[in-house]
Amino acid sequence: MAKIGVFICHCGENIGAKVDCTKLAAAMGEHPGVAVSVEYKYFCSDPGQESVKRAIRDNNLTGVVVAACSPRMHEATFRKACAEAGLNPYLCEIANIREQCSWVHTDNDQATEKAMDITRSMVEKVKRNNKLQPIEVPVTRRALVIGGGIAGIQAALDIANAGQDVVLVEREPSLGGHMAQLSETFPTLDCSQCIMTPRMVEAAQHPKIRLLTYAEIESVDGYIGNFSVRVRMKSRYVDINKCTGCGDCITKCPAKKISSEFDCGLGKRTAIYTPFAQSVPNIPVIDKANCIYFKNGKCKICSKTCQCDAIDFDMQDTFEDIEVGAIVVATGFQVQNNTMYGEYGYGKYPDVINGLQFERLASASGPTAGKILRPSDGVEPQTVVFIQCAGSRDPSKGVRYCSKICCMYTAKHAMLYAHKVHGGKTHIFYMDIRAAGKGYDEFSRRAIEEDEAAYLRGRVSKVWEENGKLMVRGVDTLLGRPVEIAADMVILATAIIAQPDAKEFAKTIGIGYDEYGFYNEAHLKLRPVESSTAGVFLAGACQSPKDIPDSVAQASATASKVLALFSKDMLEREPVVATNNEATCAGCWGCVLACPYNAIEQKDILDRSGRIIKRVASVNPGLCQGCGTCVTFCRSNSLDLAGFTERQIFAEVMGL
Amino acid sequence: MSIEEQYRTRAKELLSGGAVKMVIGYGKGSNAKRRRPIFISSADEVERLVLDDACITNLSGYLVSEGLLSDEKRVAVFLRPEGIRAINILAAESQLDAEQIVIFGFDVAGNEVTALKGINVEEFSDIIDSIKEGAPEAAEEELFEKIEKMSPQERFSFWQKEFAKCIKCYACRQACPMCYCRRCIVDSNQPQWVNTSSHTLGNFEWNIVRAFHLSGRCVECGNCDRACPVNIPLRLINHRMAEEVLGAFDHFAGTSKTQEPVLASFKKDDSETFIL
Repeated sequence: MAKIGVFICHCGENIGAKVDCTKLAAAMGEHPGVAVSVEYKYFCSDPGQESVKRAIRDNNLTGVVVAACSPRMHEATFRKACAEAGLNPYLCEIANIREQCSWVHTDNDQATEKAMDITRSMVEKVKRNNKLQPIEVPVTRRALVIGGGIAGIQAALDIANAGQDVVLVEREPSLGGHMAQLSETFPTLDCSQCIMTPRMVEAAQHPKIRLLTYAEIESVDGYIGNFSVRVRMKSRYVDINKCTGCGDCITKCPAKKISSEFDCGLGKRTAIYTPFAQSVPNIPVIDKANCIYFKNGKCKICSKTCQCDAIDFDMQDTFEDIEVGAIVVATGFQVQNNTMYGEYGYGKYPDVINGLQFERLASASGPTAGKILRPSDGVEPQTVVFIQCAGSRDPSKGVRYCSKICCMYTAKHAMLYAHKVHGGKTHIFYMDIRAAGKGYDEFSRRAIEEDEAAYLRGRVSKVWEENGKLMVRGVDTLLGRPVEIAADMVILATAIIAQPDAKEFAKTIGIGYDEYGFYNEAHLKLRPVESSTAGVFLAGACQSPKDIPDSVAQASATASKVLALFSKDMLEREPVVATNNEATCAGCWGCVLACPYNAIEQKDILDRSGRIIKRVASVNPGLCQGCGTCVTFCRSNSLDLAGFTERQIFAEVMGL
Repeated sequence: MSIEEQYRTRAKELLSGGAVKMVIGYGKGSNAKRRRPIFISSADEVERLVLDDACITNLSGYLVSEGLLSDEKRVAVFLRPEGIRAINILAAESQLDAEQIVIFGFDVAGNEVTALKGINVEEFSDIIDSIKEGAPEAAEEELFEKIEKMSPQERFSFWQKEFAKCIKCYACRQACPMCYCRRCIVDSNQPQWVNTSSHTLGNFEWNIVRAFHLSGRCVECGNCDRACPVNIPLRLINHRMAEEVLGAFDHFAGTSKTQEPVLASFKKDDSETFIL
């Protein structure tokens, strides 16, 4: 005979103001099988939990329903309290009368009615709940970090410095990411490469970090603590074990006019190349598409030059399977292509460039060795115009969101320009100056007050060429008049966007993403570095536009999450797993295919003489994540999910 | 030699040589226009086989009769293209081993019967592909066009009227080669998701559940439709589901014996119009 305890929480005014809890408690008290039905202001408080425990002991309750907030808030709290009182935690259920009732309704009587329905439905479910025992699974103490920019490097170093193994995978030939491309960094104006390259070297030399560059993730299987990852090692055509990084091949390569990705098209590179001088590892790759030998079958100059016999034109992509327990995704961002603004002339006029290109111009390692020179004729520009929000905060042509870093880097660019071109004039068109951050507002003020950046609040309507000048027509909304500036160079503060293949990649690793392709965190405020998939964490700009300090902080946060996961030998998992009724299973194997965790296998049913009578599906509880996909697929209803069985769900529905 | 005679001769050879243990074909029925399935295990009986334009039943469902194929011996069966597609699906869903099936393929156009070349299911893939590319057959039907033009309310009341006739005899299920489950969901009563009584709700539940279970699997052989004693146009629901699956996932049921079930597998480029 069921003896269910119903505990109705007011949650202060949250529930109490809309739902008549006294009436609800009285109604539930009369429901068949309910032994105790009480209300209290805050059941999640210590005295509240104590009263639940006491009620369980005093009445020998067989089940508990807490009518309160979402189970995402306090299900764990009350299940633990039940366990302490000797009741199997899976005999405790939460009836959500806050998010799904009191918060969303205005009429008190109807809200009370609905709260009764919700609570009654859970009482009916709990009557059919079974005792479940947690499942223990081992943890592979090795982390995979995907992306070798500053976020990935930081996460890898933090995990490795705590003594755990890390595999760091970068798809470009070198570590570094976007930070390696930057000139100076705000708000301190320290050289980006000077602070970046020591980290790159540290990561490459770390005994606990295995570095795989020019490699991509092919597939990810498994689950928290036990991921199985297939990595594609793209063929470099250079043997990483033989190459000494002398660079002779690069010097001799006759294909010299290839547009450099690292210099954003402002510089040239050879077909065999390292992206930049401080590349880590300092091992070149051959760009197959532009290599003369691969195109014409003749050349091989690099191979003849190489004294180590490291060049191998027959090299093929190879695959490696890696077992890891946790994954940090730090795949970074891209800058938006500004050609959608025809009126700004990006792509049409060579002297209209984007912010990242300006970084390369200002960088000492860049194509102009740090001199600010116009791409068209190499002349020093005397007047420059910056256009902020060129893509950001523009739902019609660009993206709706703020790219967060452009206000700061534009101020920085204005300073760098002022420091390098004495007497040059800077105009900045802006919508708002967003300079929230330590030292940020002071920094942007400095650009205005010390480096004489002229900020104009307004948008630019058109840029066109006239007498060798770029004419910029905009509006100064503070003075309420149109402005026309004859500039030598125009820099667009381009929007940060997700990597073009971000959505595809999210599907490969099984995490969620938003409409723009940025990866979704499990909870925006309380779980900002966890993805929706357990064991997969997010660092850096793959989650949303971020500056360096934020990326680094988030990377360290993921490391702490990974290390917490690795602190135990065994992971305790919820026993919410699928089971199969072998008597009714038709053996169609649809579930085997449908299962995203490869948790279902075929099982032979034998008779006494060992002959196969039939083949059925069998769920491995260690692998099953309890998602229920197989249950919905099974046509004969042979599969069922512990904790959410068909009988329980049916009772819940019928209880409404 | 007519196709009927050719196939009789072939059946005789196969049976007498022991290459197959049984031939499932058509025999005379209760009147001149009806054919009934016959199961021949001896070469002496091949004269009973009939092949003409009245041979329309899809016989593939008999192959999954319990125990028939468990001795790993081969069985021959008369099949139209839909039936051949059904063999592919049954093989893909591990209900039979396609190697065990010897196909006597034929097709009927008007009142003319043509033989389809091949014995093993793989040999018919060109024919199946050409059906996929061709115009869907039920489109010619006026009733289908009419239903398509209805408003959702009109369509709902149309089906309500049709389903009201259902007496829950499950003849559609018994006739369908795809309904091989040993325990159908409607026979499960813990809990009883599908109402057993034949009133509107139960009838809706049954027929809609069946349509969903057949989507991506139905070969539109028409067995259910012909079996229905109250003439519910079941083929139209199934045809509509087949069109949906073809349009959304480019999935045509039964193109190969290794085809993945459309509702249990996913491709990265599957349309996600239903996910907001």
